[in-house]
Amino acid sequence: MGPDYHKTGLYLLLMVFSFLLLPISLYPAVDDAQFIVENLQVNDIPYDDGSGLVISWKPLSKEKRIIEYRIYRGITPDSLFFIGRIDVNVKTGVPGEKMYFYDTDFNYFMDVQSFARIRHEKQQPPGSPLYRRYPRDARITGPQLAHYDILGVIDEKDFYYRNRKFEVVTEEDTTVYAGLKVRNFEQLAKKLIPDHEYYYTVLAVNEARKYFPHCEPAMGIPRENSPEPTKEFYAVFVEDINRLQFEWSLPTFTDDHYYHRVYMIEKGDLEKFRDYVAERKLLEENTLAVKIDTTLAVLAPVQENPATLIFQRYSAYPYTPAKTCYIDIQDGRITREKPYPNVFTGEDTAVDVAIDTANIGDYYFVFSLYDAARYETFSEPGQVDVISSSALPVVPQFSVVDGENDKGDYNTIRWGKPVVFLTNSNYLNESKTRLLVNYEANTNKNYKIRNIYFHVYDDDNNLIARINEFYLDSKITLKIPPDTQSLHFEMTFRCNNELGDDYVLKQSLSYDDISKSLSPGNITLGDENLKEYEYYIYKLNYFDEEFRLSKKLQGTQRELDDNIRYENYHFKLVKNYDADKQLYLVTPSFSVRIDDEHEDMIGSNLYPEEVEKSRIEYQKEIDKYQASLDTLVTEDEIRNAESAIEYYTKRIEEMESHPILQQAASYQNAHQRIKFLDKSRHIAKNSFAYKIVKSDGKGHFTETPVYSIEDNKPEDGSPYLISYNNFGTIHFFPRSDWFKTTMLPALIASFVFGVLVFFLIKKAKQGHDLFIRSIAGMQEIDNAIGRATEMGKPILFVPGLSGISDVATLAGLAILGRVAKKAAEYDTKILVPIRDYIVLPIAQEIVKEAHYEAGRPDTYDRNSVFFITTEQFAFVAGVNGIMIREKTATNFYMGMFWAEALLMTETGSSTGAIQISGTDAVTQIPFFITTCDYTLIGEELYAASAYLAREPLQLGTLKAVDYFKLLILIFVISGTILSTVHLTFLINAFPEK
Amino acid sequence: MKRQIPLIIVIGLGFLFAAHTFIPHKISNDFYEWWQTWSKAISPFAVMLGVMSLFMVHTTKISRRVPNWQYSAITLIALVFTSFSGFMWGTQEGTPFMWLFKNVQMPMGATMFSLLAFHIASAAYKAFRARSAEATVLLIAATIVMLGQVPLGAQISKWIPEASKWILNVPNLAAKRAIALGVGLGMTATSLKILLGIERTYLGGGD
Repeated sequence: MGPDYHKTGLYLLLMVFSFLLLPISLYPAVDDAQFIVENLQVNDIPYDDGSGLVISWKPLSKEKRIIEYRIYRGITPDSLFFIGRIDVNVKTGVPGEKMYFYDTDFNYFMDVQSFARIRHEKQQPPGSPLYRRYPRDARITGPQLAHYDILGVIDEKDFYYRNRKFEVVTEEDTTVYAGLKVRNFEQLAKKLIPDHEYYYTVLAVNEARKYFPHCEPAMGIPRENSPEPTKEFYAVFVEDINRLQFEWSLPTFTDDHYYHRVYMIEKGDLEKFRDYVAERKLLEENTLAVKIDTTLAVLAPVQENPATLIFQRYSAYPYTPAKTCYIDIQDGRITREKPYPNVFTGEDTAVDVAIDTANIGDYYFVFSLYDAARYETFSEPGQVDVISSSALPVVPQFSVVDGENDKGDYNTIRWGKPVVFLTNSNYLNESKTRLLVNYEANTNKNYKIRNIYFHVYDDDNNLIARINEFYLDSKITLKIPPDTQSLHFEMTFRCNNELGDDYVLKQSLSYDDISKSLSPGNITLGDENLKEYEYYIYKLNYFDEEFRLSKKLQGTQRELDDNIRYENYHFKLVKNYDADKQLYLVTPSFSVRIDDEHEDMIGSNLYPEEVEKSRIEYQKEIDKYQASLDTLVTEDEIRNAESAIEYYTKRIEEMESHPILQQAASYQNAHQRIKFLDKSRHIAKNSFAYKIVKSDGKGHFTETPVYSIEDNKPEDGSPYLISYNNFGTIHFFPRSDWFKTTMLPALIASFVFGVLVFFLIKKAKQGHDLFIRSIAGMQEIDNAIGRATEMGKPILFVPGLSGISDVATLAGLAILGRVAKKAAEYDTKILVPIRDYIVLPIAQEIVKEAHYEAGRPDTYDRNSVFFITTEQFAFVAGVNGIMIREKTATNFYMGMFWAEALLMTETGSSTGAIQISGTDAVTQIPFFITTCDYTLIGEELYAASAYLAREPLQLGTLKAVDYFKLLILIFVISGTILSTVHLTFLINAFPEK
Repeated sequence: MKRQIPLIIVIGLGFLFAAHTFIPHKISNDFYEWWQTWSKAISPFAVMLGVMSLFMVHTTKISRRVPNWQYSAITLIALVFTSFSGFMWGTQEGTPFMWLFKNVQMPMGATMFSLLAFHIASAAYKAFRARSAEATVLLIAATIVMLGQVPLGAQISKWIPEASKWILNVPNLAAKRAIALGVGLGMTATSLKILLGIERTYLGGGD
């Protein structure tokens, strides 16, 4: 008696439903009060720009099975918006006593995916202050502009072409903005404003996603702090060239750093300086204390800084890092033509200081970071290390070239000659007489390594091995005497360019008791230890005022591919909003480039008429200041007025005479004008000048001049399109390449293959008999379908588990067409389970067409080609179920398969079906061969369609594959023979990637 | 026209994307990225097709009361309930959807996967029966490789791990590379046939 399927089905249904009830029954009722987060604290983050708060709380115990803490922030405690969450592993809980959430810098505020309207948080009682994220409704979010700095990240196309001119008229003036909808912003990011109050609360969510009550909101105020103290600062005096060199460690927090400064202190003033620093600290603490308690007295500065400013470097916006500088002493004085400005105090500091180089030890030097809040943090004063220039490293010549085979986003910097160094070694036998040594070779395109020669010596300077490494596989093996404690390697090269006889690298391997192997030591070239130095790559575009430290590289590096990203975004502070039109307003002006002196930014406006208005406004300002000059009394007032006049005059001059702005003004079409300005902006942003510093990290460095190619003049002679039509002379603009040279062998091979295909198709069409070897699996297809017909059982065809983009799936579908046609002719049912839903309609169409072609459209059943699931093993379960229930007579597996292959074919084997498989998955082929009657191995899968079709077009292609394979074989054998006799030109002709 | 338009699209775009392989220029890259974002739009529609297919197959089985129709009912109920739970309560940790995923789907998938161990043993038995010279070579090679992977092999002889490594790195790798070479050429040939319009089965029907 067979099973009662109705009952079985019912039991199964009940089982499934009982599963669904489990989540409800598993979670017992809990006391919410025990799940409220405790010890919530909001504290200022030190050393920052006053935009950071750290929120901390005591995590709930592991037993409470919390999976998430959700953090909310608001400007009042009665409306708090979700700002972020911290996920917790429910099994391990939180190991520490405290959890932290950092609300700092610009981070996510809102975007187009935000809710349209304000929404209460889930599972909250009426009157709860908790809301989900800020909505994109300007009526709710707009007023927040008063409490946050909101930065809009805008795609350039949206900024240029999808803005709406918006005028805000007040009694005093009219301000023009570019209005943008939320959808025009990639994102709106927020930053806290110093000295504003912010409220935070946290709630816990357990594994049943129950939102427990939030804790009492806590308030925090972000404060501007002084920069962090510089950890390391080195001063070096190179006495023979009268140069002071300084190097410092990079800071962690850099948000509002404005100047890097170096001061000189006479020995006798050191204590005074320390008192001054202590007073500065006291004043900072007092400023903070007064902000908290306004009744406290404000301390006035008493002491003057006894240190003398000798160097200042602008380092803001955006932060431009640097870690070295030098000052040349001339005639016993440190002088500078232009005084150093301080934009915050308006004071200019002239530098003209006498220094007694004979008694340089009488001076101390100190490095400081000066921030936008006018706080200054000094390093520990240090004395100079006196050296001569012969102790400085030598920087090899370097060159800058356009990155090869790129879309115009790389410049390549190359320097020096090739380097090879040993990285580690391993004994290959127990007697420790055979050694495998790994090495690394670094070079650049100026020196292509052909051979590396290793000469290995023992401690007595006896040559024990000489290795000619003609194929650089990063490893060499050598025989060594027993109990070798150290080996000494000398490494030389044969390159495409001459290196010189004295170019010998040396490195030793010494026995290390810890690793129980021979470990590599220093790499020396002459007297220089290459491991001691690093290369700092500095670069400067037409947007920055100063060179920025771009990369730090080890002394063994010889090349840098400098990535120059295409930035298609404008970053704009949102200044205002319009609730009715749901617009967020940003300034329509934008920067185009910095002037040639790298001092002033040249900008333009989205609206041409506003440019003219600005010019008139500037002129009015000049007139106003000039008129006021007669009435001003103090020197400061007069100086301020004069600098304002100078500033506005310069702006007007630029507007009238700068080539970019002149040409932009000549465009009648607004779209063309913006396009031109954007192109100029891109050139300015992506054109970089380079220089290299080689340093030991302690001030012993050598800096190269800025690299230039004087004969590489711009073709069109335009002063502003400096490097657009050419790579550049000082600033280098990477060009987009039209052909990837590494793909040349592939292109030639494709061309040869294409010619072969055409030739053989033509031959086949002319009636030539093209021999195709028989494939057993293919020959058996007809028999297999016939067997199913005789048995009256269906055929199962699985066209792989991959998607339509996989060529194996396409090959499988091609075979499906042939099999389905044959099955339709025999009136045998075919079942095609599908895993990928994009493959589904294609397979349905193929089977349908096959039935039409066989003249049996009536037998086509749309449901015979059906989707099961995308889940791998669920799909297997489904297919196996079909095999067992339907008792399929023939199973085809054609396409891409993974671990499920064996599960399906073993089941098919157990049901007694005849099985034919075909795949290009190397790992699955053994399983198919073992469990299937016939298997199409690798390329046979792709040949099957042509084999079955027996048409000239298909056979020609198939034959071309065979001939091409012969060609590859010839290359493989030739390459093997040639490289065996040290002729590597053939294998090197093919790129590795 | 029904077949010509798709064919023109396939051939045109096929050549464009083939050219993209050789052209690193920004224009080529931008076009490729732009196209990729558009191609993503196809997926949601295809999901609907998949779900519709599933419904059609199983509702037909239920309505015709074919043998084992109860399984079809379970499939549809599970599909509806899982989708409903996902839409209703989300798919995050702790939601009913995630509970179902962790406690129903994952163990079931793991069960299926674990069957593989037994099937591999069975397949290995079939493969290693020394019925012919080739099968005997396979048996010996497999024994060496297996022993080479475990400490016991090195205990028996220090040459076993070496031999195992050699088998994997020389004859095995050579065979794998030969297959890969053939597969690569087969893929190229199939792609070329599609580009030239020789192979059209993917459009539905034969030629």
